[in-house]
Amino acid sequence: MFNLDQAISDWRARMLAAGVNALDILDELESHLREDIEEQMQSGSAVEQAFGLAVRRIGNPGALRSEFAKVGRGKWALLRKLKAVLLRASHSIPSMSTFTPSARRTLELARIEAPRLHHDFIGTEHLLLGMLALENGALANLLKRIGLDRGDLRNQVENRIGLFPRSTTQDNLPYTPRVKKALSLAAREAKACQSPTIGPEHIFLGLLLEGDGIAGRVLKNLGVTAETTRAEILKQSPPL
Amino acid sequence: MITKELVAASTEPLVLSLLSRGESYGYALIQEVKRLSGDKIEWTDGMLYPVLHRMEREGWIESRWGEAENGRKRKYYSLSKVGKKTLKQQREQWNAVSGVFKQLWRENYV
Repeated sequence: MFNLDQAISDWRARMLAAGVNALDILDELESHLREDIEEQMQSGSAVEQAFGLAVRRIGNPGALRSEFAKVGRGKWALLRKLKAVLLRASHSIPSMSTFTPSARRTLELARIEAPRLHHDFIGTEHLLLGMLALENGALANLLKRIGLDRGDLRNQVENRIGLFPRSTTQDNLPYTPRVKKALSLAAREAKACQSPTIGPEHIFLGLLLEGDGIAGRVLKNLGVTAETTRAEILKQSPPL
Repeated sequence: MITKELVAASTEPLVLSLLSRGESYGYALIQEVKRLSGDKIEWTDGMLYPVLHRMEREGWIESRWGEAENGRKRKYYSLSKVGKKTLKQQREQWNAVSGVFKQLWRENYV
């Protein structure tokens, strides 16, 4: 018996294996596929034939992958690369002793999130996901006060992440330049709030201020601003 | 059937023109262009999506995930301000080319 959901999930696996690995793109192509199948079935086709034709029409996974790969190579690609190199050179991670225990826990959780998603780097998305796993404390309160739902935020981040097919076994995953920047901004913010240590709430603010990473973009999309976040942090623990 | 080269050159202005009539999504854009061209323009379905993503990156169009009438997730695209300007420029270019053809071919037939 032909099972459409199973067939579509197999098709997604083939696309993934060919290197079309952004969830957002796969979802969009799947939505197209279902649209096409439905239309064909309305004009009397059997589901299996409709699926076969729709898959053929959407095209060869390898060809699609190389077309999507070209998307990233705009005229600004070189400039972006240069910026990334400069960023890498200019931000160093604050010393571990300046983080609070729960901030350190956040960094550990980010190290768990990255391999779970088959990523071989620690990006702003992993840092934010790690943070969301903390159930209590200053950050949980902060999220509540600025009206963010943890589950919702987690979904939004995961929706933007490309799932990589290969798994990595590397132990010491490197931080991306954006994470380094976010952490050094967190240190600056902690100092400005006259806090002797960097807490997860400061890292959260750092992610917002960095702004261009997945975490920053998701938060901005949800309408979170650095100003209100900073104000809430100060309300919670006013400078001495 | 229209050649590959011409299809490639006309995809972006076609998408801009279709979206200037209002928000739409991949599948509907493909059907619409097929219908308007009397089946002469046929995009390889999947290939439209990288084009849409590139156009979004250029800032010509914007996208959002929404829900279709049947409850399914759908990605909708709409024209941005920059896109409107781009469409205007592209229209001028295509009009210039087609104007030349019109004159040349009219003279042929007199």
